[in-house]
Amino acid sequence: MAATAKPNPAPRTAKNSGRFFESRNPFKPSPVWRIISYALLGLWSIVVLFPLYWLLITAFKQPIDVQAGPRYLPFIDFQPTLQTWNELLVEQGIFVIRPYLNTIVVGLISAVCALIIGTAASYALNRFEYRPKPGLILSFIGCVVLMVICIGAGLPPFAAIVIGLAVYALIAQTIGKRFKAGGFNNSDIAFWLVSQRMLPPIAVIIPIYVMFQQAGLLNTHAGLIIAYTAVNLPLVIWFMRDYFASIPVELEESAFIDGASRYTVLRRIVLPLALPGLIATFLIVLVFAWNEYTLALFLTGAETQTMPLLVAAQNATRGPQWWNISVLVTLMVTPIVIMAIILERYIAKGILVGAVKG
Amino acid sequence: MQAEPQRLSAAVGAMGTPRERPSIWSRLDAASPSVLLMPTVVIVLALSIFPLIVSLYLSLSRFQFVRGGFQITFIGFRNYEKLLFGSEQRHFLGRIAAIEPIWWLPLALLGGYMAYLLFRYVTSPRRRIFGLVMRLLTLVITGGAALLIAATLSGTGLPGTLVVTLIFVFGSVALQYGIGLGLALLLTQNIAGKRFFRIIFLLPMMITPVGIGFLFRMLTNTTQGPLGPIWIAFGQADFSWVESASSARLAVIIGDVWQWTPFMFIILLAALEGVSRETIEAGLVDGANRFQLFRFIVLPEIVPVSTTVILIRLIETFKIVDMPNILTGGGPGTATESLTLHAYNSWRALDLGQSSAIAYLLLFTVTFVAMVFVNFVRKRIIQAFS
Amino acid sequence: MKKQHLILFLTVLVAVFATSAVFAQDQYAGVTIDVLTFTGPQIAEPLQRHAPAFAAMTGATINVVTVPFADLYQSILTDQATGTNSYEAFVFAPQWMGDYIVPGYLENLSPFVEADEALAWEDVGQFFREFSSTYEGSVYTIPLDGDFHMVYYRIDVLEQLGLEPPRTWDEYLAIAEAANGQDMNGDGVGDYGSCIAKKRAEQGYWFISSIASGFIQTQGTSQGGFFDSETLQPLVNNPGFIRALEIYKATNAFGPADELNIGVGDTRGLWVAGRCALTLDWGDIGSLAVSEGSMVNGLTGAVILPGSTEVLDRATNTLVPCDETTCPFAIDGVNHAPFAAFGGWSGGVSAAADPLVKEAAYAYLSYVSQPAQSNIDVTIGATGFNPYRISQFEDLQPWLDGGFTQEAAENYLGAINASLSSPNMMLDLRVPQNARYQQVVLDEVISRYLADELTAAEAAAEIEMRWNEISDELGRDAQLAVYQATLGIQGGN
Repeated sequence: MAATAKPNPAPRTAKNSGRFFESRNPFKPSPVWRIISYALLGLWSIVVLFPLYWLLITAFKQPIDVQAGPRYLPFIDFQPTLQTWNELLVEQGIFVIRPYLNTIVVGLISAVCALIIGTAASYALNRFEYRPKPGLILSFIGCVVLMVICIGAGLPPFAAIVIGLAVYALIAQTIGKRFKAGGFNNSDIAFWLVSQRMLPPIAVIIPIYVMFQQAGLLNTHAGLIIAYTAVNLPLVIWFMRDYFASIPVELEESAFIDGASRYTVLRRIVLPLALPGLIATFLIVLVFAWNEYTLALFLTGAETQTMPLLVAAQNATRGPQWWNISVLVTLMVTPIVIMAIILERYIAKGILVGAVKG
Repeated sequence: MQAEPQRLSAAVGAMGTPRERPSIWSRLDAASPSVLLMPTVVIVLALSIFPLIVSLYLSLSRFQFVRGGFQITFIGFRNYEKLLFGSEQRHFLGRIAAIEPIWWLPLALLGGYMAYLLFRYVTSPRRRIFGLVMRLLTLVITGGAALLIAATLSGTGLPGTLVVTLIFVFGSVALQYGIGLGLALLLTQNIAGKRFFRIIFLLPMMITPVGIGFLFRMLTNTTQGPLGPIWIAFGQADFSWVESASSARLAVIIGDVWQWTPFMFIILLAALEGVSRETIEAGLVDGANRFQLFRFIVLPEIVPVSTTVILIRLIETFKIVDMPNILTGGGPGTATESLTLHAYNSWRALDLGQSSAIAYLLLFTVTFVAMVFVNFVRKRIIQAFS
Repeated sequence: MKKQHLILFLTVLVAVFATSAVFAQDQYAGVTIDVLTFTGPQIAEPLQRHAPAFAAMTGATINVVTVPFADLYQSILTDQATGTNSYEAFVFAPQWMGDYIVPGYLENLSPFVEADEALAWEDVGQFFREFSSTYEGSVYTIPLDGDFHMVYYRIDVLEQLGLEPPRTWDEYLAIAEAANGQDMNGDGVGDYGSCIAKKRAEQGYWFISSIASGFIQTQGTSQGGFFDSETLQPLVNNPGFIRALEIYKATNAFGPADELNIGVGDTRGLWVAGRCALTLDWGDIGSLAVSEGSMVNGLTGAVILPGSTEVLDRATNTLVPCDETTCPFAIDGVNHAPFAAFGGWSGGVSAAADPLVKEAAYAYLSYVSQPAQSNIDVTIGATGFNPYRISQFEDLQPWLDGGFTQEAAENYLGAINASLSSPNMMLDLRVPQNARYQQVVLDEVISRYLADELTAAEAAAEIEMRWNEISDELGRDAQLAVYQATLGIQGGN
């Protein structure tokens, strides 16, 4: 048990993995400094907690308690009521519970998918050397342009994709085998993956909508899961890459000598060691998928709507319904907070972002 | 630490002796570099290259509805022209005014420094034509951006969505880093309640950005928000965040800082806790004081992580939209309208060409800033501190 | 609340029995109708509530799908333009109809309406019948709601000040100034003379048109108030519109400090909490004022949008005094042009659906709009439906059951009736991509003007320039033809 909780992979720079700042801190903070520290920590806690407190009490207010000016203390300033909760969870029932379930399903599955695929890729980027050829990349982009032109010329999308892929396979077969002299390396692949997060989703939402429509993925859980997996992959790769870098290769090599395959080593040795990192990364990508708005807006319909849409929808022709928003946000954040509290020790240990070589 | 190698060898032992695998397995094993990386590349390619190219085409065309459907007309660079030189110029770039004297010194310093760097490169033995061209380009763009910022923030000038976005990005990333590092340093001390604070400080990151937008709109409301009495105590009975452009921008930055400081905090905390004990003890033996320890031992170790996390936040903050959209709607005037919000507004009105053009200009800006940061700033910072 | 529910239940029962004779049982068995609208509860709530009764009568399944309000316009277009066609009916703002009718997404409902007696078409207010739901002489939408701006005032505050409800905008400003700073809800804190939602990207840009309408449109609805109906020249760079801009800005001084950042949700909250003497809003305030917890129940008066004694002469681009020719519809020398902002939620049927499904979708929209249903719905605040039928003014009982006092109901309905029966009601802009004219350009420029980034003259010039640019980009002749079609002008180009 202790081993899983504290695999404690040494950072690359450190020879030994004893941690200075943890429990055996040579500096006992002096009493004055301790008071200052607590004051500062307390101050920021108030900054963090006060808005959350306001959110929570608003969830128990009646509209007039909000509208008639600020009221701070339940039972003293105003009489807390479950009216909004009742309205949302009982009267509207399915219209709130369904998005909630959707959020859970889509969030969890997409986070797991992103974690599995992204972990594999970041492990690979750490242990293998890739030399993608610029010519191959350019020809691929050329083929996509060809596809777009084909679709623009009125060809059915499916045929266009087949043509594009065929042309690309042809080019790849002729020049693709030669991987020796290349302009790019692993860092460039990593940077390229991360750069996928640079374009605002609004810019690509219409093409993605059309793509998903052609593929029959609109208004399905699968569609949203694919989209979130893709969006979260760069983050997983970014976090896990440094984590893997901190795991000594020697451990794996001994297993190879015993004849284990790459996959066995990954499953039996590397992943258990990387567990804290996996859990921390999982939480982060889960939070992103859980809270995403723009993609959900376009890719979902009545059956698959998620909670952020429902929150945004509370600002309708009547203006924001503060009490509803508060209840919904509280509902949304509760499971995540509980998970975070349970997994807290992993979060602290699991994030080990080193330097991604730019 | 003792338990670990044992557990590992047990794991290895459990795999047993190598047995004859069917050849498909060994082939798969040999192909493992591709098998592991390809899913990611395929997914990201499928969901990025096609949309990117379509958006590029949209940014060069006009989308409109006609009898029987819609049509997309190719119009060349007209959308870009409108933003940079035409009727949207004031909105995108801002209103230019004569640069106030207060800006002269920083501008001169920046110009001088860039000229110095360029001079040093030209006189160095490793100069190349490509490198020179890239540096000149960087210089021109950076200088132009600096002049634009100075000219739109002076006197009667008004910043456009480009400059507003830059203000958001640099303002909030700097604050997030400062606060995040401070909190992480406080929590590396040997004090009680660390776990409690750590969880509390993480909370804002877990809330949906849409919800945080509404939350801050509630908090900043003059008549219904909770901060009224505080302002009254300060003698500002009817304080409004949106009366002036700068306080509205500050409100947006505060919201963004509240939400994303946890991200900086948690990663910097992990980095600080990873600083090895031996190095510190060696420093102590040498008689270093607290500040020196931080400056010469801790800081060099966390600088690489810091630059990475700053880069992530830079990229993400350039896309800031939920906070200004919900909190102020981009107002008063265009004071808090970010580039993404500008693109979103056009997009909502189905001006897809203009929207894509703004998005592409944003992409260009982010890429430029990220490149400069990675190749120039980051390298220098790491060199300076290690 | 209980009483209302009982009445609702009884009405539904009666409606079921009454209409079951009209609809053959299980006429649309197996037909599923997906209705797209925005996430309520208002608007979506009545659509959902009436579904079971309709299903019991006809066998059709009604499935109400909702998206956030701000994205409804986009969602409908994206669904239709890409041929996804997930929805058979839409409940939307008829302001968007130009964008939906021109590419052919909406079914012409005229044949259905003509054959439908239960709809009581003649009972629908003339403006909604002839302009709001009509394009080139054919009906495309079934009105479910009546939307236009009115001014609301505090009866008690005005009485105390010895002032009459405003007839002109100058009077509005005078009342706002006199009332500003007085304590109107007894909490010892000074309250506001005028509360108008001016937040950017929300409703701010509609209110400027409400102020300008009285200066600009004088000759009846078909004259139009946004463009010259012959040249599509914007009607903004003129003394009337500039005067409206000045009035709009002058109201800032009598509102909350953060008025530039509050939307109608906030102003309605302020109104209900008794913090404003005047406000400018849609019909919703009427039913909100009598809702639970309201501090202004019985104290809320409504009046037709104030107007002007001087109006724009389009030929000379100057303001001229009102007389019989310049303002034929003036009341006591004041030209009123109530602005039908947004247009009132209406239902349309997708042209891409199968004939039987279209019929069923129409039948459902008609069912919700029929007096038996709508006359109750409009008295319930939660529905978000405001009156649009003549019969909704005749029987006060549902209103009294809804919580109105006799006096308040008469006052509120009187103001609505005055607006609704005005032949000079101003139609909202409906040319294709009107969002670019209003939501993008008008909203942005007005917001900059309010934030002192532009002067009134600069703002007017900028709107004119950019509106012309959009018209030229989208094709001036095509835009003009649609503009004329929405105003019911035949022939044209």
